Amino acid sequence: MFLTGKHLDRRTLLKGVGAAIALPWLDAMRPAMAAPAKLANQARRVAVVYVPNGIVMKDWKPAEVGGEFAFTRILKPLEPFRDDIVVLSGLANNAANKARGGGHAKASGSFLSGTPPKFTAGADVHAGVTFDQLAAKHWGAETRVPSLQLGCEDSRMVGNCDTGSSCAYTNSLSWKDPDTPLPVEVNPRSVFERLFGTVDPSLPAGVRARRAMYRKSILDQTAENTQRLTAGLGPADRRKMDEYLTGIREVEVRIASAEKDPVTPPAEKPSGIPFDYAEYVKLMFNLQAIAFQSDLTRVSTIMLGREGSVRTYPEIGVPDPHHPLTHHRGHPDFIEKVTKINCFHAELFAWFLERLKSTPDGDGSLLDHSAILYGGALSDGNAHSNVDLPLVLAGHAGGIRGGRHVASASNTPVSNLFVHLLNSVGLETERFADSTGQLDLRT
Amino acid sequence: MNRLLPILAVVAVNSTTLSAGSQDVLAFVQKNCVACHNSSVKSGDLDLKTLQSAKTFDENRELWEKVADKIKAGQMPPPPIPRPEAATTIAVTHWLEAEFDRQDRMVKPEAGRVTARRLNKAEYNNTIRDLLGIDIHPAERFPADTAAFGFDNISDALNLSPALLENYVDAAERSVRTVLFGPEKLKPSAVHLSAPIRINEVRGQSQLPKDLFNYDYTGLSTRHSAHFLYHFPVNAEYSFRLVLNGHRPNQSEPVHPAFFIDGKMVKEFEVDATDLEGQVIELRTRVTAGEHLLSETYLKNYHGLPPSYKGPEPSKRPPEALISPRGKLTEKDIETLRKYGTKIKTDAIETRVDNRFESLDIGGPFNQAATASPDSLRKIYVCGHAPGKHTGACARPIVASFAGRAFRRPVTSTEVDQFVRFFTLARKQGDSFEEGIAMALHAVLVSPDFLYRIERDRPAPAGSSSAPVGQYELASRLSYFLWSSMPDTELLRAASRGTLRQPAVLEAQVKRMLRDPKAFALVENFAGQWLQFRNIDVVRPDLERFPVFDDGLRLAMRRETELFIENVIRQNGSVLELLDANYTFVNERLARFYGIPGITGPEFRRVDVSNTNRGGGILAQASILTVSSYSTRTSPVLRGKWILENLLNAPPPPPPPGVPPLEENKTGQSATLRQQMEQHRKSPACSSCHSRMDPLGFGLENFNAIGAWRTEDGKNALDVSGSLPDGRSFQTPAQLKALLKDGHDCDAYIRGLTEKLLMYALGRGLERYDRPAVTAIAAKLSSQDYKFSQLVLGIVNSLPFQMRQSHQTSQIASTMGERSK
Repeated sequence: MFLTGKHLDRRTLLKGVGAAIALPWLDAMRPAMAAPAKLANQARRVAVVYVPNGIVMKDWKPAEVGGEFAFTRILKPLEPFRDDIVVLSGLANNAANKARGGGHAKASGSFLSGTPPKFTAGADVHAGVTFDQLAAKHWGAETRVPSLQLGCEDSRMVGNCDTGSSCAYTNSLSWKDPDTPLPVEVNPRSVFERLFGTVDPSLPAGVRARRAMYRKSILDQTAENTQRLTAGLGPADRRKMDEYLTGIREVEVRIASAEKDPVTPPAEKPSGIPFDYAEYVKLMFNLQAIAFQSDLTRVSTIMLGREGSVRTYPEIGVPDPHHPLTHHRGHPDFIEKVTKINCFHAELFAWFLERLKSTPDGDGSLLDHSAILYGGALSDGNAHSNVDLPLVLAGHAGGIRGGRHVASASNTPVSNLFVHLLNSVGLETERFADSTGQLDLRT
Repeated sequence: MNRLLPILAVVAVNSTTLSAGSQDVLAFVQKNCVACHNSSVKSGDLDLKTLQSAKTFDENRELWEKVADKIKAGQMPPPPIPRPEAATTIAVTHWLEAEFDRQDRMVKPEAGRVTARRLNKAEYNNTIRDLLGIDIHPAERFPADTAAFGFDNISDALNLSPALLENYVDAAERSVRTVLFGPEKLKPSAVHLSAPIRINEVRGQSQLPKDLFNYDYTGLSTRHSAHFLYHFPVNAEYSFRLVLNGHRPNQSEPVHPAFFIDGKMVKEFEVDATDLEGQVIELRTRVTAGEHLLSETYLKNYHGLPPSYKGPEPSKRPPEALISPRGKLTEKDIETLRKYGTKIKTDAIETRVDNRFESLDIGGPFNQAATASPDSLRKIYVCGHAPGKHTGACARPIVASFAGRAFRRPVTSTEVDQFVRFFTLARKQGDSFEEGIAMALHAVLVSPDFLYRIERDRPAPAGSSSAPVGQYELASRLSYFLWSSMPDTELLRAASRGTLRQPAVLEAQVKRMLRDPKAFALVENFAGQWLQFRNIDVVRPDLERFPVFDDGLRLAMRRETELFIENVIRQNGSVLELLDANYTFVNERLARFYGIPGITGPEFRRVDVSNTNRGGGILAQASILTVSSYSTRTSPVLRGKWILENLLNAPPPPPPPGVPPLEENKTGQSATLRQQMEQHRKSPACSSCHSRMDPLGFGLENFNAIGAWRTEDGKNALDVSGSLPDGRSFQTPAQLKALLKDGHDCDAYIRGLTEKLLMYALGRGLERYDRPAVTAIAAKLSSQDYKFSQLVLGIVNSLPFQMRQSHQTSQIASTMGERSK
């Protein structure tokens, strides 16, 4: 077998070793779709890892600024990645302060868009396009899945999510446009199928190809019929059909790209949601890593919990629901329990960083070519505070220089950070939403 | 309200003239309200300073309604701010109400337009079930539908992302292949489920129940059992591996572990040991697809204990000197003992009765039933099914019949042609007849005519802005309202005859539909979201504080509420029964939890609760009481808010900016909690809402965070009395419920329910032009014994349900609407 210059079919390799998830990613297997040299100084992947209900700031924020900072109790799990992370402080989500509605809905509903969400419980939800979606649009058809929205909390909860604010503001982090929150995928099995398709890989190649052809032809015909149908409809109905047509087109593009460059799943299809929370989160992180490493997508957001989350964490000695604990009013027992939850989340994030760092990618690791933002849109959960947000940026994409704590002047819009992230993915811009400049982390 | 009538009659004389009254009302607000509600203070996020002119009554109607509501309920102005004269307050609210009525009479009722509705998850599952005759829940893993106004069937909120569209395309293919070729063949896999350790209390100490003779012999409701709700993907055999743990006293008779599915015993075992840790028992059995409750129990757990325990059927075994963890000592054990001394574990003095389960492993599916269901095939192959012997001529009738049912209307021959073309394509590719049909059916299920309910525009008759929806559209409106599914043959037949709109036919159809088991959809999708008891599936009460809570109890709680509401719906009960009733539904598990004696077995049955402390109605049901609590404790604020939002149609506004939500302290300090909250309520910013929320919540403090009855919280005796802002007071939960059924609270409940059910039926938010319809339906209900079927009929016969605004008028209306904003 000659390996010179040709990319190696993953299946050939997997046949020999079985389908281990953490299979080291040989560079030879990278499909020839991306030229690493061109991308060396760009953020090739952007992700946001969101934690809800604020953080106990006294145990989060390092006392020292610059390179010589000491890791605090909550940040401790990230210490092995000192040189790969920037701890950020001073940034504020000013848009939330301008909005009406519940403190949690305002926070996550405005976080990535810098736009105050409209106060409503009805269908007329309105916020702003989020920076991750601008990045997804920028890369457009280059990847099979424009972006992933993941969540680790059951979205079956019904009712008002936060005193009169629509659940859309707490259920979704990413907004495709000001009227369209993107739903999160909570089932690992569905995430897997979204990445690798649902066609049974055990079918003969001929049958699979024929099914794909049928599907394409069904979608073609359906698109045509829908256009004809649309002609006789009123404006609101027409908008619904447009949305449907856009969906059809995107699925068609996906099928075409899958045909051109088939990717064999590097892991077994997960059966469902693991009962154990840590296992669940790791599985979702892993799928995200797999999507990044196969270049199936370059943009993702993941919510380890929704704002207002009432998840309990008996496995770490916190049988109480998260949200009411954060309204601790200074009660030391409550604060200690919230801190435990904060630490637990940070440990899980460290696992993700390790996974990215140990995966070779081009001339470095996956982490080298990623920009992963970790944190939340509330600092002190007790007061629903939107200033001095707890944030960490990991990875070196676009030349981010790690190993330091960067303190911005207080009330600097967090949008300034998003301007930097957009520029590092190659979307040159001076402004995003309520930004007042760029928080450049290269120097 | 009624007792105020005499006074009203007097002041009414003064407030009939509109201009004079309106000036008084404006002056009243400026005098009594703006000190707190102005542009700089903005308590409750309200600025009333702007309400200076008479035209604001119309333009700021919602604001004025809020003002009227607060004054009427006696919430505003809050103490210590001096109250205006009672007569003045009454005159003001009366004038405002008259003004609102006047405005509503001026509002021209409109039918409104519902945007094309995408089938949501529940509707898609049910429609596939009824269309194909297979119950496979293909939408189960779709992302959750966005809800608006608390419901997930509101068309404007039902977005479609490309990811979701792809889910629909996949689900369509999977459904079609399942019906034509049998269920998808799954590879066996193993799942490990750990039992929650719920018997810490009895661990290490022999804490036995007081009455060892009268206990649950099945073991299903004892703490020694473990329960798991598990979803089985297909009909097949599955293997189960039960791992035991815990101990039995030395000299006990063997234990009898058993395995139950849905409360029915599948197999009984016998294990003779005192240390049960790591003992394994296994079985294999067929299980149908879907969710089942799996239970591991010990039968007759307190039988066969040594005589010193004074339990039933005491052990006849002679005392043994020394036994090992696995029974009698063997020669080898004695050898080991000699060698290692006492380090080996001996259970000669074992007295614990803490036998329990460690885990359950499920393996499968094995021997999966993988053939297509003949009944379903008959539905598809309308000219008979003879594998391999189909004639090409049959393809067209098959496709035409299927498309008609899928689109819920007659299809044109051009439409049929398009789908038959796929059949032809597949045949040309060398695929079988069945594969060709599969492709055509797949295309039908991806079509927007199936995935959306699109209603056609019809020209409005002269002098009207709306036209009746078509017969088939009406059939779909009915079936998705009452069944969350497609119309059945009978509805479609009435539509095709054009008789569905005839009052007698319509009424008969509605009553038939409500009696049909499919009306359970109203319980799951309407009531489950309205009352939020769907959340019982996801809440996680703290097991240390509530060791009795497990999936068996969770399921029983859900079933109680479902059966209770289903009974009201399908037996045409009064909607007031939800607030208070003298009956409920329990099985043994729930009866033991509630303390209702004499109920045995897993089946639910109706019981009289009129002589119990708990009483009846949803406020006495553990499901509701649990979803409105935190995992570790109750919260009067949360429960009060729940009642205001869901029962009294008065959702409290968000707390004013800068004020953290009122939170109580830890449990066990209820007395202080009450005082603390009373203190808190002295702040005017907090009192307006909390003076309404808190007493309602305190009135339910007799129920703990999982709905069990209690008379004390921690060390403190409970004080569950309270008084509402309008002065009415109560001493017990029963009295609180009686108040809710009475006067303006009852009116608010009926109006709220009507609004919510109408919104759910239409799939859109309500507009001002819907008010007359809501008022009429709600008003009529009181003379109809509040029967649920009458509420449904009121909605079904209402203008917005029967008609659709024509295109051009709606454009004018929407531009006007924008201007008035």
